[in-house]
Amino acid sequence: MPPIRDAMSAFELFQPASVGDALGILDRHGADAWVMAGGMDTFDWLKDRIKKPKVVVDLGMVDELRGIKDAAGGLEIGATTTLTTVANNPLVKERFPLLAEAALIVASPQIRNQGTVGGNISQDARCWYYRAGWPCYRAGGNICYADTPTAVNREHAIFNADRCVAVNPSDTAPALVALDAEFVIKRGSAERVVPAREFFIGPGIDITRLTVLQPGDLLTAIRIPATWAGKAHYFEKVRDRMVWDFALVNIAASLNMSGATISDARMVVNGVAAEPYRLDAVEAAIKGRPRDKATAEMAADLAVQGAVPLRHNAYKIPLVKALVKRAIRGEAEWATS
Amino acid sequence: MGQNDGMAGAVERLITLDVNGQQRRVDVLKNETLAMTLRYKLGLTGTKLGCDRAECGACTVLVDDVPRYACSVLTHSVRGKKIQSIEGLAAPDGTLHPVQQAVVEGQGFQCAFCMPGFVMATVGFLKTNPAPTRAQLAHGISGNLCRCADYNKILDCMMVAADKSRGA
Amino acid sequence: MAEQQKPVAPAIPVAPTKPAPGEAPKKLEFRLLGHNYTTPDLVAKVTGKAKYAEDFRAEGMVFIKLMPSPRPHARVISIDASAALAMPGVHGILTAKDLPAPPPPPGPVPAAAAAARPAGTPPGTPAGSPAPQAAAPGGGGAPAAPAPAAGAAPPVAAPTPPPMPPEFALTDEPVYEGEPILAIAADSEELAAEAIDRIVVEFEALPFVIDPLEGMRPGSPDGRTQGNVFVGPSMKTVKWTAADMAMVDAGKFPVNAEATETLTYGDIEKGFAEADLIVERDSQQQTTSHQPLESRSAMAYWQNGKCHINVSTQSLARTVAAVAGWVGIKPEELVLISEYTGGGFGSKIPGSQSIAIPALMSKKLNGRPVMMRISRAEETYIGRVRPGYQGWVKMGFKKDGRITAVDTFIVEASGPYRRQGDHATSANLATLQFQAPNMRFRGLSVATNTPPGTSQRAPGGLQSSVWFEPVVAEAARKLGIDQVAIRRLNAPEGTAQFGLNPPNTPPGRPRNKVTSCFVKECLDKGAEIFGWEARKANSGKRTGSKVRGIGVATGAYTAGSIGVDGLCVLRPDGKLEIHQGIGNLGTHSVVDTARVIAEIANVPWENCEVVWGNTAKGLPWSSIQAGSQTTYAHTRANYATGMDLKKKLTEIAAKDFGGTPEQYDTNAQGVIRKGGGLRLTWAKAAERAIALGGIYDGTEVPKELNAMTKAAAAAHKGRGLMGVARDNLPRDGQTYGFMSGFAEVEVDVETGVWRILEYVGVADVGTVIHPNSLGGQIHGGGIQGIGHVRSQKLVYDPHYGAGLSTRLHHNKPPTILDIPHTLKWAAVELPDPTNPIGAKGIGEPSVGAAAGAVLNALADAIGDGIIRRTPVQPEHIMEALANGGKPAYEPLTAFI
Repeated sequence: MPPIRDAMSAFELFQPASVGDALGILDRHGADAWVMAGGMDTFDWLKDRIKKPKVVVDLGMVDELRGIKDAAGGLEIGATTTLTTVANNPLVKERFPLLAEAALIVASPQIRNQGTVGGNISQDARCWYYRAGWPCYRAGGNICYADTPTAVNREHAIFNADRCVAVNPSDTAPALVALDAEFVIKRGSAERVVPAREFFIGPGIDITRLTVLQPGDLLTAIRIPATWAGKAHYFEKVRDRMVWDFALVNIAASLNMSGATISDARMVVNGVAAEPYRLDAVEAAIKGRPRDKATAEMAADLAVQGAVPLRHNAYKIPLVKALVKRAIRGEAEWATS
Repeated sequence: MGQNDGMAGAVERLITLDVNGQQRRVDVLKNETLAMTLRYKLGLTGTKLGCDRAECGACTVLVDDVPRYACSVLTHSVRGKKIQSIEGLAAPDGTLHPVQQAVVEGQGFQCAFCMPGFVMATVGFLKTNPAPTRAQLAHGISGNLCRCADYNKILDCMMVAADKSRGA
Repeated sequence: MAEQQKPVAPAIPVAPTKPAPGEAPKKLEFRLLGHNYTTPDLVAKVTGKAKYAEDFRAEGMVFIKLMPSPRPHARVISIDASAALAMPGVHGILTAKDLPAPPPPPGPVPAAAAAARPAGTPPGTPAGSPAPQAAAPGGGGAPAAPAPAAGAAPPVAAPTPPPMPPEFALTDEPVYEGEPILAIAADSEELAAEAIDRIVVEFEALPFVIDPLEGMRPGSPDGRTQGNVFVGPSMKTVKWTAADMAMVDAGKFPVNAEATETLTYGDIEKGFAEADLIVERDSQQQTTSHQPLESRSAMAYWQNGKCHINVSTQSLARTVAAVAGWVGIKPEELVLISEYTGGGFGSKIPGSQSIAIPALMSKKLNGRPVMMRISRAEETYIGRVRPGYQGWVKMGFKKDGRITAVDTFIVEASGPYRRQGDHATSANLATLQFQAPNMRFRGLSVATNTPPGTSQRAPGGLQSSVWFEPVVAEAARKLGIDQVAIRRLNAPEGTAQFGLNPPNTPPGRPRNKVTSCFVKECLDKGAEIFGWEARKANSGKRTGSKVRGIGVATGAYTAGSIGVDGLCVLRPDGKLEIHQGIGNLGTHSVVDTARVIAEIANVPWENCEVVWGNTAKGLPWSSIQAGSQTTYAHTRANYATGMDLKKKLTEIAAKDFGGTPEQYDTNAQGVIRKGGGLRLTWAKAAERAIALGGIYDGTEVPKELNAMTKAAAAAHKGRGLMGVARDNLPRDGQTYGFMSGFAEVEVDVETGVWRILEYVGVADVGTVIHPNSLGGQIHGGGIQGIGHVRSQKLVYDPHYGAGLSTRLHHNKPPTILDIPHTLKWAAVELPDPTNPIGAKGIGEPSVGAAAGAVLNALADAIGDGIIRRTPVQPEHIMEALANGGKPAYEPLTAFI
């Protein structure tokens, strides 16, 4: 509970013009350096005076981190490509409308004009205890304030909680998971490519981070394979306000249809766990079945197995069920428009 | 700081900004946002701080014609870009921009603290969609809050503004 | 100016008139009033030139940061600021000990507690201000009995607890998290923040209460050291029984628990005995933050013995005494500047206590300019809230829909400082809105260690519609009666009576009455525009997962006070300066009501200049810009002022050209001889007034003027022909405005997400003086009501007493996508007979009408059993529908 807010502390600023320069700066400054893309997550931390990095590395001048290009029928998207660009890009809309829809529903137009796809998927948890600077598990302490008998935790996790009950707040992250995206991470002179399932991590792996990104790492690009290009999809975000709100729950689904039956599927919900929550059991169970009511009902029950509600968020269980049913039935909903 | 001088990506405090068509030399802190620079260094107080947290839109300005929350942009990051604030919208002789003119004719807004941001958001949106439907317009300027909730009259004015802008 | 000039003579009566018996009221036509025009401040606003309080910079300015209390309730034991004050660039500290001594008890001049709304005053009336309404409405606001003040607690047994001390800008006993403890001034905000990080404050933690009902639990802590329940100006400790609390724990409101306030009218037992249908429910509505987009930033400096402060305030003239009290100076030592205010909605009626901080810091720094920028997070803490309700309501109906009795119990979350009285206002309004022949209200105003409550647009009025309207809607459905018809049946009309009384009031005591009321006309016009009959087909219509519903509701609120002043100066250059003490908070009334003078005296609007926004300019006494008072109060005052101006013009003409004043009139050029030509141009008349002196140039003014107006007149005497007057026009009754609201919604039953497809608001606002502005008020107020129903809330962790919803995406004011893309409005345009131009206020009735209409439409879509609390979040609907219609949320818990 910081006593005072809204006055950013001083920092040294670097605005490298190339990935190489950026990596050099990160290498030199290690844990003192804070990587900033669009800044939509960064500024909150700095203005709240909870994070006081010595060095901020602004990626805004690195042209090679921006842009969308064909990659063998899939796409490679530069990490600092804005959400507006992703949402409006003809190739994205044609091949992966799921991602375009998810990007178009993030926050507000101005945020999409500045916020990047890399930033959107890497953003930190929005738990209002953690973000207010309370010394919780995620902040390095030894308590979860959102998981007490009196805590207000309507927006928190129902799956895979491990001490911390914060959720991943991203809209594009579940879409990218549902598209089997891979994440290109550079560090010094090394490069590694991490599949979506491994990129996002829960508290059991590291309670202080939502992704594998460590100090010194730079997310440079997102690769979406051709696998799901042109396939059926479904995206919906349930939220309190129709603009500038995080999802209570969102769902992203890719479905490969073989005639009238589902031959393969990816189904991911977010806002329910610390990582985009992939519904493996549902994906397996709906293979070979039609997109009908019976499949939907069966899948909905499977989807919420293992869910553990907190005092104020039991509604997420029927909400996940409802969204899974809709994803399978595939009805267009105004909730996403 | 000295150790970083000349290092790749290091920045100077004295920078040049292109604001409303003028080149302005300004001493800018490295942790300074564009809203702060416009308001307190350049005296352009039409850019308002309603929340300073990228939530209300009162600080919206155009950066290379794109609406951005000036409260959440580092001033250093808009070097070399074309910045337009509410003060740069009317012609030098005082002739209002069509969007401003539509607001005046429709008596749009109430307390008007949100107005500069809404006007800039509309100008930017109309560059990407000059002939929007009312619903498209509402989505286009949905990153701005009006606590007087004069939304209906704002949409009335801005639909007229779209007509005027196309005719202009 | 884009106004239309109509060649018709103004249909201005020389004094307020009532329609003759049997004569239907008719719309009045005017040359200026009722026509759209462009307010003269609009170009400055749309070009960014308009300066709000934080837009000022001055040479040598220093900047303040506040240290907010990290605890919900504590005592400051010690403050060690030595390390902070030793930092270069840090200039000073201000603590509670630096504030002036408590001001004298409320007297003729509003003092520090100016924002208080003690029982028996209209909403937002500064304590002790010259009450314009002799028979003050009761219970924090609205309708009430004549005297003694309704809404007041019954007499308390001796010894009477002492009155609670007022709230100050800084405190050494913080009673809510975020309450400012001290202020530091430095070369920059960042430096001030660094300095505060170096200050060590030792606190003694004190008990606190977040949820009001938890404060009623036996043995639970009290929110204040003096008690947990506000009783009049005092406090005491009241705890419910273990059995009462067992009911609360079971999610049921304990209807027979102890209340400290009771008001009644008629005989509810008889009323319920006569009822064919009784509907009752527990209910809860949330506390919400006002969130004006401009925070309460202020800048101050001292010059030539005067304190100059740029502030954000709703009411300029009526802010002077309050701020002077907070700063500890005489009103004449204060210059207040507020040309533009970025919204207030009740949270800045006379500015706010925090204005004193830069003023007193500047004084410490020898007058150096001091800026205090209030951040959004700080605004969420210190910027005031609307009190939430927990309680129960029961209503009886005859088969035909006639209401026979209303019984309600309301616990209001009053915040830490004073009784709000919204709950009593809601109850009083019910006697007006629904003309309940028998009613009982019981209530408690419980101290909570949450942000201080104050009037929020329609205080008690919004809550009244949210509280009672859904019960009426449920009854209509159960009785098979049309929703519009049941409201028409129970609607007030004519000079309807209303009000509740304290217990044991002798029978036969006269009730309050309204000056005009056209609710049925609002309902009829709204039904027509909305297409009510045709849309009934949409009720319950299911398409896929979506179901539709339609709803109608009414809203009512005070809409005018009396007794304020007007002042204008016709200058030798032929221009008419119209001075307004009204604040420019966005309602346009500062200009709209000025036009009355031009209308009356036939001065072309192009010749007029409105002067406002700076007390150094010499401004007349005004009403507060709250309680929807201004339009009514200042059309009356400016009518009187215009008549004074015109009288003086014709007297000068008679002196110069012979005959009697009655033989002269005015036209667009100046003074004419009736049936003859121009005798005096405006410019010449002004010159003649200066030559004549005395009453004509303001050297002599009426004794009855308020002191501020006299000072303004003295400052402007000799500059031209002065029109100046106090509103002494008669009024019989209390003035209220009314609204009907109609809404259609669509609910996705699978997710609980809902949206509003259509909204129509129709106002009984009397004569419309500025259509564009009125539309803004009807829809703006309506959307604020919709925000209350749809998303706005304030969330607290009850264990730590800490606010969690400090961000806008947490407290969720409505966005442009949370409403229909097109909204409609209309007005019935029937004049109020007690206003010479027939106008009333409307800023507040709009709020409850929309909130009620949307709630009723939701219940029409999904049933009457689901919604028992606001805001109506998706899961409230989704879970209940998935659960056979039984709500799954906690029904009574507050601040979640």
